[in-house]
Amino acid sequence: MKSKKETKKPLLEIHDLFASTENLTILKGVNISINPGEIHAIMGRNGCGKSTLSKIIAGHPSYEITGGKIKLSGTDIEPLEPEERAQSGIFLGFQYPIEIPGVSNLEFLRVATNARRKFLKKEELDTFEFEDLVKEKLEIVKMEPTFLNRSINQGFSGGEKKRNEILQMALLEPKIAILDETDSGLDIDALRIVASGIKKIANENCGIILITHYQRLLDEIKPDFVHVMANGKIIKTGNSELALELEKNGYEWTDKFIDKT
Amino acid sequence: MQIIEEISKNRINKSASGSILQKICLDKLQLNPLPNHKSEIWRMANKSKLARFLDYKINHDFYKPNIPYENESQKVIRLIIGDHKKINIKEQEWEIKELDDQKILNLIQHKLLESDSTQNWSALLNHLLTNEKNICGLNIKGRNLPHLEIITNSKNNLFNSRTLIINIEKNTEVEISQINLGDDNSSLSNSSYLYLEEDSQVNHGIVSYGKYKSHLINSLNVFQKKNSVYNLGSLQFKFDFGRLEININQIEGNAKTNIKGMQITQDNEQISTYAKIAFNGPNGFLDQLNKSLARDRSHSVFEGLIVVPRIAQKTDASQLSRNLLLSNYAKIDTKPQLEIIADDVKCMHGATISQLNENELFYMRSRGLTLEQASKLQLRSYYQEIISFLPISKERWDLLALLLKNK
Repeated sequence: MKSKKETKKPLLEIHDLFASTENLTILKGVNISINPGEIHAIMGRNGCGKSTLSKIIAGHPSYEITGGKIKLSGTDIEPLEPEERAQSGIFLGFQYPIEIPGVSNLEFLRVATNARRKFLKKEELDTFEFEDLVKEKLEIVKMEPTFLNRSINQGFSGGEKKRNEILQMALLEPKIAILDETDSGLDIDALRIVASGIKKIANENCGIILITHYQRLLDEIKPDFVHVMANGKIIKTGNSELALELEKNGYEWTDKFIDKT
Repeated sequence: MQIIEEISKNRINKSASGSILQKICLDKLQLNPLPNHKSEIWRMANKSKLARFLDYKINHDFYKPNIPYENESQKVIRLIIGDHKKINIKEQEWEIKELDDQKILNLIQHKLLESDSTQNWSALLNHLLTNEKNICGLNIKGRNLPHLEIITNSKNNLFNSRTLIINIEKNTEVEISQINLGDDNSSLSNSSYLYLEEDSQVNHGIVSYGKYKSHLINSLNVFQKKNSVYNLGSLQFKFDFGRLEININQIEGNAKTNIKGMQITQDNEQISTYAKIAFNGPNGFLDQLNKSLARDRSHSVFEGLIVVPRIAQKTDASQLSRNLLLSNYAKIDTKPQLEIIADDVKCMHGATISQLNENELFYMRSRGLTLEQASKLQLRSYYQEIISFLPISKERWDLLALLLKNK
């Protein structure tokens, strides 16, 4: 008998994905399928293609899809611009959130939230309505309202930047959230705040991909699936036990799963 | 070039009361009616645009400009040069009165006598062509003064010339904004002189914007005595040919100058800024940033020069040029320079030319902002740094909206 999750249609399907940048092939046949409510972790050595995969899903213009398909709720997203993908429900939490001096965080968040709301055919929020919403969401990541008056990520500590990413995720209510090394550079307290924020936002309609090197994030957020990437493809998939084995044995242990051909 | 022909053939009207100044200028310009294109400060100037600047009929009459923003208020005194409005106000804490002709002569005669037709061609031309109705001379003293808003404007198919001379007395603090409005197919020549006495402070904004085929040459001469502070914010856009010449002289050193300027070019426009800051005493300070943004096939020029002679020990000066090139066909020339003889100084200069930041754009687009929205936000932040330095309130002149609407 199939479980409840298995009967749902996949939110994100990546089929035999090849991608390159500057004539260098980085992804070499990635396959992954994410159902609503599932949390997937992708682990792997530096340079194995994890961040590239996240950027390609989000539509980074420096990368080219040379083969395969990415579908969001059954629709091919390759023709979509990055903003159309975001409006459709794809969210990328950056490993290194960008600082944009002079652009108010509040204004940026309002424009972004309204772009998503417009796509969802919800009423756009005026400044006052948005302030009410954002204050509510700030509590999820334990941020002070003064953050909103600053320029985007400018002068933020590493932890503040990552919390700002989770705040954006909370506001945008994505279908698929890809969190690229959201745990990097965080102390234990900040990691707990970020992890707790992600858990509060996660729901049965949203799929989450956690890209990480460390077990400590997965101690806080237990994934349904763990994938190991090497040489631009997923070489092994398992449950949360796989992450523990990686923690114990290191990535060398997974080399035997690499298809040498 | 109608105007050059009139200078060469001595047909310029010398009957105006400012004729002593005009005679000085005429003598110099008759030797070299056109600027020397081999000189550093003119070599980048587009010759055909300069010719067009000089090709309108000289106009001395006043035409009221169409000003889109609110009129005078209690906090602001608005003056339009040429409209014959007299200004002599004395309050408890401050005073503004008009300078008499002799005082004006005293202030600028020596400057014009030592001017040469290469370095000071713009100022010489301005004085030659400005009649006394279009000269505004003010003496300002005191504190808690209302904001002074001074407007110059051109009228289409005419050459218009205006001169502003302001003496700022000791211990005075004042905010002055100058708005230069260019009409369609017109030329505006504007020369300004600011004399800062000891311990005075001026926050000065110069905003110049034109319409279709507007031309502008704006020369600014500032003389700072010790312990004076001069803050200048400038913004130039929408001129087919626009040129701001800044000459700052810290006469005795021990003064502070802060400058933040920006020029925005599009279509086939050429806008330039030339800045020469001379330190003639020790402990001078300069912090200068010039930004430019060039689109389409336009050309933006910045040339800066910091002069630090032996007497100017302990000078601390910085001149930076930051530029955004938004088209493969646009051109930006930038050249910040130092001329240092003193040996105990801290001087730096630098220039960058870049395009809109791809990483910033992608970050914003990945949150659902369109490329246009993301670019606009980026430009807004680029503009904001300069606009926030201008002593002009958004309620009176919404410059950001003007710039974002521009293209």
